[in-house]
Amino acid sequence: MVVRTYQDELKYLEKVSSCSWRIKKGFVDNMNVEGLFYVNEHLEKLMFDELKNSCRTGGYGGFLPGMKQIGNVAALPGIVGKSIGLPDVHSGYGFAIGNMAAFDLSNPDSVVSPGGVGFDINCGVRLLRTNLTEQDVQPVKEQLAQCLFDHIPVGVGSKGIIPMNAKDLEEALEMGMDWSLREGYIWAEDKEHCEEYGRMLQADPSKVSARAKKRGLPQLGTLGAGNHYAEIQVVDTIFDDYAAKKMGIEFKGQVCIMIHCGSRGLGHQVATDSLVVMEKVMKRDNINTNDRQLACAKINSTEGQDYLKGMASAANYAWVNRSSMTFLARQAFAKMFNSTPDDLDMHVIYDVSHNIAKMEEHFLDGKQKTLLVHRKGSTRAFPPHHPLIPVDYQLTGQPVLIGGTMGTCSYVLTGTEQGMNETFGTTCHGAGRALSRAKSRRNLDYTDVLNALEEKGISIRVASPKLVMEEAPESYKNVTDVVDTCHQAGISKKAVKLRPIAVIKG
Amino acid sequence: MFRRKLIALNYPQPQGFDSNDEKAFRNLIVWLEDQKIRHYKIEDRAALRSLESTEWPKAFENYMNDLGSPYPASERNAITDWILGYAVRLEYGDDAEKFRSVTPQTLNSTSGNKTPAGGVSSNPLDCLDFDDPDFKAGVTSLAMLLQIPPYHDHLEQLKAICVLVKEKLSKEALEVASKEQKSGDVVTLDRVELGFDTGDYIINEAAKILRLLHIRDLRELQSKINQAIVSVQTLTANPKTDSRLGKVGR
Repeated sequence: MVVRTYQDELKYLEKVSSCSWRIKKGFVDNMNVEGLFYVNEHLEKLMFDELKNSCRTGGYGGFLPGMKQIGNVAALPGIVGKSIGLPDVHSGYGFAIGNMAAFDLSNPDSVVSPGGVGFDINCGVRLLRTNLTEQDVQPVKEQLAQCLFDHIPVGVGSKGIIPMNAKDLEEALEMGMDWSLREGYIWAEDKEHCEEYGRMLQADPSKVSARAKKRGLPQLGTLGAGNHYAEIQVVDTIFDDYAAKKMGIEFKGQVCIMIHCGSRGLGHQVATDSLVVMEKVMKRDNINTNDRQLACAKINSTEGQDYLKGMASAANYAWVNRSSMTFLARQAFAKMFNSTPDDLDMHVIYDVSHNIAKMEEHFLDGKQKTLLVHRKGSTRAFPPHHPLIPVDYQLTGQPVLIGGTMGTCSYVLTGTEQGMNETFGTTCHGAGRALSRAKSRRNLDYTDVLNALEEKGISIRVASPKLVMEEAPESYKNVTDVVDTCHQAGISKKAVKLRPIAVIKG
Repeated sequence: MFRRKLIALNYPQPQGFDSNDEKAFRNLIVWLEDQKIRHYKIEDRAALRSLESTEWPKAFENYMNDLGSPYPASERNAITDWILGYAVRLEYGDDAEKFRSVTPQTLNSTSGNKTPAGGVSSNPLDCLDFDDPDFKAGVTSLAMLLQIPPYHDHLEQLKAICVLVKEKLSKEALEVASKEQKSGDVVTLDRVELGFDTGDYIINEAAKILRLLHIRDLRELQSKINQAIVSVQTLTANPKTDSRLGKVGR
């Protein structure tokens, strides 16, 4: 890798609109396509500071800056369109988190990369609505938070309260939300309002290692740790009345429940297993990448297919996991308000995946192509009338759920035609880290973080309080900046803003 | 004018029989003798069967006399009506039990599997002349009444009328409408995104309407899918929790 000065690096970057930058070929070696990233003023400064720091240290130490990672992904074989960085982009393993990359299936050299999906396969966000108002919930907020905490185990090493045996797990891996439906944990409408209808059909549980299954079995129905959470939120602002109504969001102060979690240890193990395999395959198939972390295999190779089947199984696990938590949250609310989930109108508004790779049909230079779209820390955002979005959202576009950081706010966006054309129907996924976990721990004090939440009137239940500073709002980019940038760029549209009143965390 | 009797006898072309059409008349007489009346032995029917022969009127006169017709052979309409009535009477006599049990109700329930063109059906709707000017006028006035825009093919227009009546004015539709009342807001067409542009305002509007109709059909399909899932769930669902299994991590 050439080491250049910051000034030299800037020659490869060009601002193309008020909120997007082009990364020209040559920014890193072997770029097959250009890069593109979306930022507003605040986020731009963060991105360029990151690059500047990396130039100063000569590229040593820690992760590569996000911009370099976007460039390295643009150098992968078979990539088409652009390597796209969303406004919440930050350094990750191989691929930046907040990166979208699409590979042409008709090109035999095209690759699939586990780093482009992430370790927490099918990490995603689900939003449930209720017909309760903030006034209904405020007096019992503490009890409700405790009740949720009792139902949904959190933290590293937590275990779920839904009994599962090995056979159940096999079936869940294969069937996804159809398993939850069959067993009666969820409603038929939940499946309707879930990306991919809650089941990836190419899943093959035999491609998931015994070790992964062993890790996953006791964890079903648990939140885990890290940035995962379950929040009780209230509607703060409605930007798009019509879209909100279609989602069943009728008034300010309406209570919703957001669940953000993924495939726990099972997904992590699937990713780790495949990275080991792919490193060997790259030598065999003579695949070269700029970064060792970008381990990948040809999509059509056995290893590539095995990964996709294992990934699909892990994705199914994540949906079952979110479905189980939906069931538990419904139980908790029903108990608390002495009612039924039906009477509380606790419908799933939508469920999005923001760590996944999917086969999709897109138009590239006017031609229809089948692409393998990697979305890591980025969310699918399909426009109105797209055949893969639920019938209820055909006129509004797909709801995109953006989970904010603990104690800040969350957004619901909708997909747009422009996003379909510019980013293969992709938008941001959340706030995006600004400080590393280690840095957060050094710079912040956990009592301050907890006090700040209390001042805002947010109840919190947390398994490991000493780690909350990792997830403090200060450690993240401002989610409002991120969302506004996507809105301004036209790749998705703001519909609803939610603010939390209670948080459950690992 | 002889349609009903011709239909009752299963005559192949019951519509538009004209007794003054010499060829049609001769054909009918031979068909009746061959199929229904069978007054002569087969070998004796030769004269009657030579349809083109100049001797045919004579053979016909003999035949009428033999049957005991009260009318002279020259009164075509009267004689046609009489011979048809005679044939019907014989047909009835062949299986009196079967025909006696026929009531309008039993007839209605079986009329569905009869073909209107074959003349078997006695359902008056099946025998309608769809190209009759009166019929066309009726369709047009119905369309105007229901505010359906005009269309050059009146049969297509009739289909549109049927759809409208079924979906808006049928007993079931009215019941549903009265139950749902005004749920949801009205969204004007110009707020609906089409997703592409045809370059023509009118076609764009029409495409939006098609989109909306498609969405409605999809919603119906999805609801049926959900119903199917729910009915399977009643057999398979058995959700369990065991709070003793729960463990909060660190």
